[in-house]
Amino acid sequence: MVDLIQKTLLYAVPLMIVALAGVFAERSGIINLALEGIMIFGAFVGVWFVRLVQEWGWFAEAKANGDWLALQGFELLAMLVSALLGAVFSLLLSFASVNLKADQTIGGTALNLMAPALVLFLIRILANQSTLYMAEGDAASWFMIKKSTLGIDSSTELNPILEILINKVYLATYVCILLFVILSILLYKTRFGLRLRSCGENPQAADSLGINVYKMRYAGTTISGALAGLGGFVYALTTAGCSANGDVAGFGFLALAVMIFGNWKPLNIAGAALLFGLFKYIAASYSSIEVLSNLGISSYFYRLLPYLVTLIVLAFTSKKSRAPKAEGIPYDKGQR
Amino acid sequence: MKTVQPDNVIEMLHITKEFPGIIANDDITLQLRRGEVHALLGENGAGKSTLMSVLFGLYQPEKGIIKKNGQEVKINDPNDATALGIGMVHQHFKLIEVFTVLDNIILGAETTKMGFLQKKEARKKVEALSEKYGLKVDLDAKVEDITVGMQQRVEILKMLYRDNEILIFDEPTAVLTPQEIDELLITMRAFADEGKSILFISHKLNEIMQVADRVTVLRKGKYVGTVDTKDTDKQSLSNMMVGRPVQLEVVKDEAKPTDTVLHVENLTVPSTTHKRNAVNGVSFDVRAGEIVCIAGIDGNGQSELVYGLTGLEKSSGGTVTLCGKDISHATIRQRGENMSHIPEDRHKHGLILDFTLEQNMVLQRFQEPQFQHFGFINAPAVREYSDRLIEQYDVRSGQGSITTARSMSGGNQQKAIIARELDRDKPLIMAVQPTRGLDVGAIEYIHGQLVAARDAGHAVLLVSLELDEVMSLSDRILVMYEGEIVGELDPKKTNVQELGLYMAGAKRQTGKEAKGA
Amino acid sequence: MKERLSNLYAKDGVKTVLSSIISIIIGMVVGSIIIVIVGACTSSLGISSVGEGIQLVFGGLFSTGRDAAGNLTFGFNSTNLGNMLFRAFPLIMTGLSVAIAQKTGLFNIGAPGQYLMGTAATLYVALSIPTSTSTLYEGGTTPAWLVWLLAFLAGMLAGAIWGAIPGLVKAYLNINEVLACIMCNWIAANLVTWMFDGSALRNTLESGKTGYIYKTSYNGVATAKMGLDNIFPDSQVNGGIVIAIVMAILVYILMSKTTMGFQLKACGSNRHAARYAGISDKRNIVLSMAIAGALAGAGASLYYLSGNTEFFWSTYQSLPDAGFNGIPVALLAANNPIGVIFTAMFMSMLDICGLQLTNLTAYNEYITDVIIAVIVYLSAFSLVIKQLLTARKKHKDEPTAAATTTADAAPPTGEDTKPDAAVQQTVKGDD
Repeated sequence: MVDLIQKTLLYAVPLMIVALAGVFAERSGIINLALEGIMIFGAFVGVWFVRLVQEWGWFAEAKANGDWLALQGFELLAMLVSALLGAVFSLLLSFASVNLKADQTIGGTALNLMAPALVLFLIRILANQSTLYMAEGDAASWFMIKKSTLGIDSSTELNPILEILINKVYLATYVCILLFVILSILLYKTRFGLRLRSCGENPQAADSLGINVYKMRYAGTTISGALAGLGGFVYALTTAGCSANGDVAGFGFLALAVMIFGNWKPLNIAGAALLFGLFKYIAASYSSIEVLSNLGISSYFYRLLPYLVTLIVLAFTSKKSRAPKAEGIPYDKGQR
Repeated sequence: MKTVQPDNVIEMLHITKEFPGIIANDDITLQLRRGEVHALLGENGAGKSTLMSVLFGLYQPEKGIIKKNGQEVKINDPNDATALGIGMVHQHFKLIEVFTVLDNIILGAETTKMGFLQKKEARKKVEALSEKYGLKVDLDAKVEDITVGMQQRVEILKMLYRDNEILIFDEPTAVLTPQEIDELLITMRAFADEGKSILFISHKLNEIMQVADRVTVLRKGKYVGTVDTKDTDKQSLSNMMVGRPVQLEVVKDEAKPTDTVLHVENLTVPSTTHKRNAVNGVSFDVRAGEIVCIAGIDGNGQSELVYGLTGLEKSSGGTVTLCGKDISHATIRQRGENMSHIPEDRHKHGLILDFTLEQNMVLQRFQEPQFQHFGFINAPAVREYSDRLIEQYDVRSGQGSITTARSMSGGNQQKAIIARELDRDKPLIMAVQPTRGLDVGAIEYIHGQLVAARDAGHAVLLVSLELDEVMSLSDRILVMYEGEIVGELDPKKTNVQELGLYMAGAKRQTGKEAKGA
Repeated sequence: MKERLSNLYAKDGVKTVLSSIISIIIGMVVGSIIIVIVGACTSSLGISSVGEGIQLVFGGLFSTGRDAAGNLTFGFNSTNLGNMLFRAFPLIMTGLSVAIAQKTGLFNIGAPGQYLMGTAATLYVALSIPTSTSTLYEGGTTPAWLVWLLAFLAGMLAGAIWGAIPGLVKAYLNINEVLACIMCNWIAANLVTWMFDGSALRNTLESGKTGYIYKTSYNGVATAKMGLDNIFPDSQVNGGIVIAIVMAILVYILMSKTTMGFQLKACGSNRHAARYAGISDKRNIVLSMAIAGALAGAGASLYYLSGNTEFFWSTYQSLPDAGFNGIPVALLAANNPIGVIFTAMFMSMLDICGLQLTNLTAYNEYITDVIIAVIVYLSAFSLVIKQLLTARKKHKDEPTAAATTTADAAPPTGEDTKPDAAVQQTVKGDD
C-alpha cells in the first residue's frame, strides 16, 4: 500500500505539473503541443547539469559527509536549471506562434521532433552512448530522502502515513506540489492571472482594454516551458534514476490529456493526474502486484493501458470539456 | 486656419489610414464638442469603424493628427486612449464570456494589493455607477448567461468605471429592441447633458435624427460633410451617405400566395449552448408566392430554427413538411432537393473561401450527372455553368470563375451565393439575414431578387434582424421570442413600436392567433 | 524575359517551392551551426572535424568514404543513390498519408502507429502463407507474387483501420485528432510487440537475431527489382519506388479530379460549409483518416516486403521514424502529392548523409533529425515566408499598388475585415 501510494504519486506529480504547464499556455491562447519535447529537453538539461556539477566535485564532500541538506540544495538547483532552459526552449514556440502567427500544432510538433534529435545528438557526443546517466551513483543514493537521512533508525516502524510522507521520497515531489498550489492561486487570484486568462478567451477584448496580448502569451508559454522542463527533470529524477535518453514515452501527451480531462482547472487536474498516475504505476510495476501478475496477461497489455484509458476517458469527457475559446488562433493586432 | 476652438474636446484632423489595396480613411476631419452627441454616419465599408479605431488607438494613421482640448496627442494603444478619457462600446462586444460581469468591468483597470485582486472597492464603485445611471446588471453572473441588452450595459459600465469623458458607441442599437433603443438613446442624452461627449456611429437615420446634435457623414473612406441635425432631414442625409438619391422603400405588388410549400408543426430544436430548447414547439406555414419574415432580436432561436429546417441541427420534436413530403428526419442533401438556403454567415456556411468561385458555384451540385462522369468531375461543364451564373447575376471578381472566393468583396461573395441558390430553382427559398453588412446598392439588388423570386412563384422564408427590412420586404411577419413564435403580424397593419413589444416579449398573441397559418 | 521571370515569381506555386527551399537551406545552415558549436566546444572533435561534418551534411549523398590519407572523398556513389531511392518509398507513402489528411484539415501525427500496424499485418501475412519458394515451410504451393499482393493489401488494411480510429473519435466524439493519434501510436507500439512476443515468426535461424522477425525473403516473398539493381548496384533499391510514385500520382488524381477529392477538400477547407452543402463531414473525416492510414500502412508494406529488411519487433518503447518523417515530407511539399515524391527523396538523402556522418566522423546521424525538426519548425510559418516573398515583390511595384482601390476590392472595414476569422482552422474540434 505504501509503495502503491508513493509510486502513484511519483508519476502523478510530474503529470500534474506538466498538465499545469499546458494550462498556462492554453489559458493564454497558445496550444502547447510541445510539452513532450520540452520535457525531454528539461530532463536532459537537468541530468547533464547534475553530471557536470558532480564532475566539478562541488558536492562530493557533502555526499561523503552525508550532508543531505546540501544535496537537497543541489537537487533544487538542478530543478531550477531545467526549468530555466525549458523556458528558453519554449521561446521557440512563443516566437513562432506569437510573432510569426504560425500554425501552433506544427510548431509544437517541430519542437517535439527537435528535442529528442538534439538531445540524442548531444548525448552521443557527450557520453558516447544512448543514455545519459549521472557521473557517479544514482538518484536514490544522492537525492532520495530516507528515514536514515532524517536521523531515524531505518528499522523503526513508523505509522503508515508518516512512512509515505518521509521515507524514500524526493524533495522534488513536495516542491512540485507547492508550486502547483502557488501557481493555481496566481492564475485565479491575481491581476496577472485574470489578464492571462482573458487573452485565451477573447484577445480582442483584452487588447481593447490595454492588455498586451503578445506579452501575456509570451508569459503563459514561458511559464509553461519552465514547468514542462521542470516536470521533465522531475520525471527523470524520480522515475528513471536521474537518467535521460531523449524519450519520456508520451508522458507530455498524457499530461495534455490530463489537462483536457481536468477541464483546464487546477483542482480537477490534480485529481485526473492521480488517476493517470495510478495507471502508470500499474504499467510499471504490474509484476509486483500479485493480483495482476497472476492473471497471466502480457505485460504489454498493462503498458498500453494508460494510453487506452486516456483515449476512453477523452471519449467520455470531450463533449463536456470547454477549452479556452481563443486557443490555437494566432492573434493579429491589425485584424479585429 | 489656426483658430483654436476651445469647445472642441477631440479633433481628428486630416486622418488618412491605408490598408493593403485600399484607403479606408482618406483625409477625414472630425471635431467633437464638449457635451454633444455627435453622430458618424456612413454605409458599411465607409470607414467609420476604422476612424474610431484610430481614435481608440487600435490603428495608427499614416497621416493626420489628433488633438485633445487643443493639444496634439499621440494615441498608440487603447491604454493611451483610456488615459485621455476615451472609452468605446464596440459593435461586437469585447467581453470575456466565461468571466463574471464584475471581472469584465475591472479587467485592465484592476485595483490590486501586492498583485492580488481587490474586488471590494471595485464592486462598490460599479454599484454606485449602476445606481446613478439606471444601468442594471448582475455583477456575479457570467457574461455568457446574461442578455445582450445587459451585456451592452456592462460595456457602458466599463467606460464609466474608467471615468471616461469621451464615449464612443459603435453601432450600439443593432442588437436591441426598439424599446431598449429608446432607453439607450435617453442614457446617451443624459451623459451628454452631464458634460460627457458622445460619438455615435450608426447608419440608422431615425436614431440619428432623434438623439444627435450634429452629424458627420463619410462615404467610401472620404469625408462628405458635417451638418446640424436641426438643419437637415432623413432624405438629404441618406443622399449624402450614398451619394445618389436612394429608394428607401422596396417596390412590390400585393402577394398572391397559392399552395402551402413549407408546413412546420411543433418543431423543437435543442440548444447547443444551454439546457433549454432553442426552438420550442414552433408551427407555421409558408405558401408559394409570399415572403414570410421571421423577426426577432438576435439569439431568440431564429438561427436554430433555420438549422432545424435545413438539417444542420437535429430537431428533437415536431414535423417539417416540404412540398408534401415529411423531411423531419431527412439528411441535409435530401432536404436540399426542394429548398435553397442563403445562410446567415457567408464565411462560415455559405462559401469555402479557399475554393475557387466555380467550385463554390457547384458546392451542392457537383454530384449531379451533368457535372461528373463516374466520379470524375466534368471540369468544362462546371466552368460553363459558373460562367453563366457570373454573367447572369453580375458577380464581379478579379479572374472570373477561377477567382478564389476569399479575394472577393463581401457584396460579390453574397451575390455569388444568391446566384447559386436562386439558380437551383427550388420551391422554397430560405434567406437568413441576406443583406447583413452590405452597402445600399447590394441591398437593393438582393431585395429585388427576392421579390422577383416570390413573383415567380417561390415560397420565401426570410429571417432578418433589421426592422426596416422586415417591414418593407415581407408579406407576413412572424415574431420569435425565446424560441417561440409569439405573434403573427401584417406589415401593412402594424408599426415598429408594436413589433418591438412582441420582440421584447412584452406582448404575445394567444395560441390560436399565433399559429401563423 | 524579365517579365516572364516576374510572372513566374508571382505564381503561388512558385512561391511555395521557394519558401520550401528557403526552409531547407535554413535548416541545413542551423545543422551546420550546431556542428560548429559542438565541434568548437568539444575538445575531442576539433576544428577539422567541423569542416568534414558540414561537407557531409550537404554532400553526404556523394560521399565515397576516405582515401588513404584519411581525407573525405566524393564522387558518384550508386549505393548511396540506390539506398536513397529505397529509403524514399516509405517516406513517400507516409508523406502522402499526412498530406491527404492535411487536405481534409486533419493533422495525422498517427502515421507511426499506422505504419507499425501495417508492418505487423504485412509480415504476418507474408510469413504465414507458405509459398512455393519458401525456405521456412515445406510443400507450400501459393505463388509468391500472390502472397506479396495479399501481404501488401493486409498492410494497407491494417493501416486503414488504425487510421480510422482517430478519425472516428474525431468525427463522432470531437476528440482532438492529434491526441487520439498519439495514443493510438503508443497502443500500436505495445500491441505489435505483444503480437510478436513469443511468436514463431521471430528469426531463430540466424544466431542472435531473435529480436527480429524473419525477412520476407525467407518465405520467398520480395518486391521485384525491376532492373533497378543494375542501375544502382550494391544498393537495396527495388520496384517499390515505382509503386510509390504510381501511388502518389493516383492520390493526385483522387484529390484534384474526382468528386471524392472535392468532398474531402471541402471538409478540410471549411467543415461547416461542407455540411451546409450536404456533404457529410463526419463520413469524410473518417474516410480521409482511413485513406491516410492505408497509405502509411502501404509504406510499411513496401519497406518490409523488400525481402532484405528486418523488423525489430520489441518496439514498445519507440515509434518508427518513417512515420514521423511523413510530417516534414508533406509540409515541405505543401501537401501536394507530386511534390511529396521530391521532398521524400530529399529527406532520404538527409538520412544517407546522416549515416555517412556516423560512419566517417565523430558526429552522429541525429544531427539530420535536428535539421528535419528545424525544417518542420520553419514550415509552420511557411505562410509568413510566402508573405515576405510577396511583400518584397510588392515593395518593388509600389507605384501601382496604390491604384488598386477600386469599388470591387474588399473594403477592410466593418464586416469584411475578417474574411478568415470565421473559419479559422484550429486543432481542437470547433463545434
